[in-house]
Amino acid sequence: MIPSDHFTRFYNEVFKFLEDQGEEHLEAYWLEISKNQEKHTLELFKEKGLKGMYEYWDHIRIEENCDMDLKLDDEKLELRMNVCPSLSKVLDNDAEPMKRYCDHCAGWIGPLIDKVDHHLVYDVIDRNKPQCVVKIFKDKEKAIEEEKNAKLLMKWPGKK
Amino acid sequence: MNKNNLDQKLRYNDAGNVHMDFHGATNTTIEFIINKYGIDTMNDIFKKVGNDVYKDIKHHIKKGNIKMLAKHWQHFFDRENADYNISINDEEIILTVNRCTAYEHVRKLVGNVSPNFCDQTIKTNEALAENTPYEIKTEILGEAACRQTIRKRA
Repeated sequence: MIPSDHFTRFYNEVFKFLEDQGEEHLEAYWLEISKNQEKHTLELFKEKGLKGMYEYWDHIRIEENCDMDLKLDDEKLELRMNVCPSLSKVLDNDAEPMKRYCDHCAGWIGPLIDKVDHHLVYDVIDRNKPQCVVKIFKDKEKAIEEEKNAKLLMKWPGKK
Repeated sequence: MNKNNLDQKLRYNDAGNVHMDFHGATNTTIEFIINKYGIDTMNDIFKKVGNDVYKDIKHHIKKGNIKMLAKHWQHFFDRENADYNISINDEEIILTVNRCTAYEHVRKLVGNVSPNFCDQTIKTNEALAENTPYEIKTEILGEAACRQTIRKRA
């Protein structure tokens, strides 16, 4: 068994292989992970919108030992990841980290948020630091406005 | 359970909560890679996990310190609340997993577990032992059960 604690280091090896095959191979994998995640999240997000997203990431915050602040208001959900355990483990690794490890997160979350007609603004800030800011808006125009403030804005399959 | 105290520090010594759903993502990944690239590619990735991610454990095995692998097994099977027994001596370690909670969690999540799910154990173990004086044999005893044995090569 590869322990669940070490999944991210296994993930990192998968990403390095796929990156060598080409960008479309990485994107196909992110979409597969996104489809897998739909099983736990799609109905919740559809039914409860931002509140459902808050519930999901609050559960993840605890279970994945994230140092993360969550803020919900009527217009948006904001996730401020202060210390990301996923990238932290990949950096604390005897194997080489994939340089664009952070990209997978927007790669699976983006298509899911698109499906529930909300609008994701994913600021990774710096790929070498385990922190990021994710904002999910009800209103598309507000999301477009927020994109201007991002330091390192992520894209995903379907949003180029 | 037969537990043994081993006073050695693990390279990866996780604490805190356990996110078992990652096993579901492992199952999805195994199916995706095998369907798209074939089983040899999947096995090559597991080989990298054994050789590179677990470089420290492999280093200990090379030097004859197989108890570090026992400590790794105990730490993570305890964290995942598996039902297992382990017998440890200087020459041989036998880990018997009676109920693998990773396998059971995936079955609960997705219904059917990939027939290659246990390859993560078999192939990673093989890579850990490759180019060392030891071999690691993984026998599947049934669903969610296996025996893993490390001993000196004949």
